[in-house]
Amino acid sequence: MTWRSRLGLGGPALVAVLLLTLPLVALLARADWGRLVSDVTGGTALPALRLSLVTTSSTAVLCLVLGTPLAWLLARSDHAGTRWLRALLTVPLVLPPVVGGVALLMTWGRTGILGQYLSPLGIEIPFTTVAVVVAETFVAMPYYVLAVEGAMRGLDPRLESVARTLGASDLRYLRTVALPLVVPGIASGLALAWARALGEFGATITFAGNFAGRTQTAPLAVYVALQEDPSVATSISIVLLTVSVIVLGLLRGRWIR
Amino acid sequence: MSEAALDARISLTRGTLQVDVSLAAARGEVIGILGPNGGGKTSTVLALAGVLPLEEGHVVVSGTTWETAGGPRRLPEQRSVGLMLADALLFPHLRAIDNVAYGPRSRGVPARAARTRARQELARVGLGDLVDARPSELSSGQAARVALARALAADPDLFLLDEPLSALDPETRARTRSELARRLRDYGGVTVLVTHDPLDALTLADRLVFVEAGAVTQVGTPSEVLREPRTPYVATVVGLNLYAAQADSHEVLTLAGGTPLIVGESPLGQVWAAVSPHAVVLHRERPEGSSRNVWAMRVTEVTLRGQSARVSLTEPLELIAEVTLASVAALGIQVGSHLWASVKATEVSTYPR
Repeated sequence: MTWRSRLGLGGPALVAVLLLTLPLVALLARADWGRLVSDVTGGTALPALRLSLVTTSSTAVLCLVLGTPLAWLLARSDHAGTRWLRALLTVPLVLPPVVGGVALLMTWGRTGILGQYLSPLGIEIPFTTVAVVVAETFVAMPYYVLAVEGAMRGLDPRLESVARTLGASDLRYLRTVALPLVVPGIASGLALAWARALGEFGATITFAGNFAGRTQTAPLAVYVALQEDPSVATSISIVLLTVSVIVLGLLRGRWIR
Repeated sequence: MSEAALDARISLTRGTLQVDVSLAAARGEVIGILGPNGGGKTSTVLALAGVLPLEEGHVVVSGTTWETAGGPRRLPEQRSVGLMLADALLFPHLRAIDNVAYGPRSRGVPARAARTRARQELARVGLGDLVDARPSELSSGQAARVALARALAADPDLFLLDEPLSALDPETRARTRSELARRLRDYGGVTVLVTHDPLDALTLADRLVFVEAGAVTQVGTPSEVLREPRTPYVATVVGLNLYAAQADSHEVLTLAGGTPLIVGESPLGQVWAAVSPHAVVLHRERPEGSSRNVWAMRVTEVTLRGQSARVSLTEPLELIAEVTLASVAALGIQVGSHLWASVKATEVSTYPR
C-alpha cells in the first residue's frame, strides 16, 4: 500500500473504529464500579432487569415456535406472492420503533382493529407485560425469520429428494434432516432476535408504557435513571453490555463463524 | 421378457425441452440411459422417483400403478424407490449406520431391526468397520458406497442412479464401479442407470436406452448398439464413424455431401454406414493397393489415448482414425497437415436406417 492509500483509507477507517469503540470505553471509564452491585440490586434496576429477562425469553420462545414454521414455508415456496410476503415481513426491521408502537396500539388498543373485540371480553393488552412481549416480538421476529429462512434455503434440495425417496414425509424430513442441519441458523437467528428484543425501547414505551415492575424493561429503567441518578444508568448499562457480549461470545465460539 | 417389472412412459416439459421417453424392464434388469447433457435423462429419473410430475404417460412398477397423468399420483415417499446421485448426499449429521437405516426407519421398521439391516448393508459394500463413521470422515468412494447401501436398505422395487460415479476420481471410480456391479447382481428389482460414461453403461447395463433431445433414439443390448449405432451421438459413444447414406447399388453408397463410399455389400435404400477408427489407414503419399476408398484429407484434431492417437480428419467427409503413436511420429501428423486416408470396402458395415 502506498502512503496515499494508507492515509486515504486508513484515516476514515480509524474514525469509524473510534466512533464504534470510544462510547464503550467511555461507559466503562465513567462507571462507578464501587456502586455497581448496590446500583443494580437496589431501586428499580433489579425488577427492570428481571422483567427484561422474562420478556426477551418469551420473545425468543415465540420466535422459535411461530417463526420457525414461517421460515420453513417461506423457504420452500417459490410462489410469486412469497416475495411480497417476505418484503412485508421485513417492514418492522426498518420501521421506526415508535411507529411500530403506534401501530400496535391501533391493533390491540381499546378501539384497535383487534382490541375492540377483546376489550368487551375483559382482555386488555396495552400497558401490560404481555404488551412488552408483543412489542419485542414485533421488532425482533423478522430478524429470526430471515436468518432461519436463509439457513433453510441454503440446504441442498437434493437432500430432500433423497430423503423423500427413502420414504420420509415432508414433516419427517423437516424433523430429522432439515432442522438438525439449520441449528446454527436457528441459534444465530435467536441471538439476533434476542439482542434486538433486549434493546427494544421505542415500541415498548409507546405501546406498553413505563410502569416499574410491569412494563419498565432495563432500557426504560436506564433512560429514567439517567435523569435521576446517572450512576444507576451506567451500572445497568454495564450489566446489559456484559450480558450481550457473553451471548455473542457463546454463539461465536459455537455457531457463528 | 417375462412380466414387465417396469412399464413407464415419461412425458413432461422442462424449460424448452419436451421429454417423451418410454421404458420397460423385467425384474433384475439394469437399464442404462445414455445421452448428451440436457437431453432429458435426469428429468426421466426424477419423474420415475415422483419428484417431477408427469404431463402425460404412466409409471407402473411390479404391477402397481404409481402414477397416471391426470390420475392419482404417489408421492416420492409412497414409491418403493432407491435414489443415488452423483454426490453421495449423505445426511451430514448422521453416522453411516443411521444414514443407511434412514430408509427402513422412514418406512416403519423398528429402530433395532433397521440398524441390524443397515449393518448388513454396510458390510455388503465392504464398509463393515465404518458403521459409526460420520460422513465428513469418509472418502468420496466410501461415501458413494454408503449412499449405495442406503438406497438399497429398504428393498426398493426400482433403483434409480443418476451419474452415480461421475464425481469420483478415475481410480476410485473403477473400484466403486466394480462394487456397484457386484451389488447390482444380487439386487432383484429394476435398475435405471443414467450415465454419459460409455464404460459405465457397457459394464453395468443389460440394455441401453439412448435419449437425445427428450426422445429415445436407440434401444438395444450393449453388443447390438456397438455393432449398429443408429445416431451420430450413439456412434460417438461407441467410438465409430457413422454416416447416413443412400444406397442405389449394392456396392456404392452416396453420403450426405455427395461423396461416394464403396462398400462390400449393402442393402438398398436409406442405410447407415459405420467405419471403425481402427479400419482407417493414413498415408503420406497417395496409396497404391487394394483399398477402394481413398481421400486426400486435412487433420483438424489429434488426441492421445494411452498408446494410441485419435486423428480427426475432414473433407470430403468427417472421419476419425485411430493410429499408433509411432505412426503419428512417422507420418508427422499435426493439426492442419494434409494426408491420404484409405478404408477398405469390406471394412464398411452397412445396415438399413
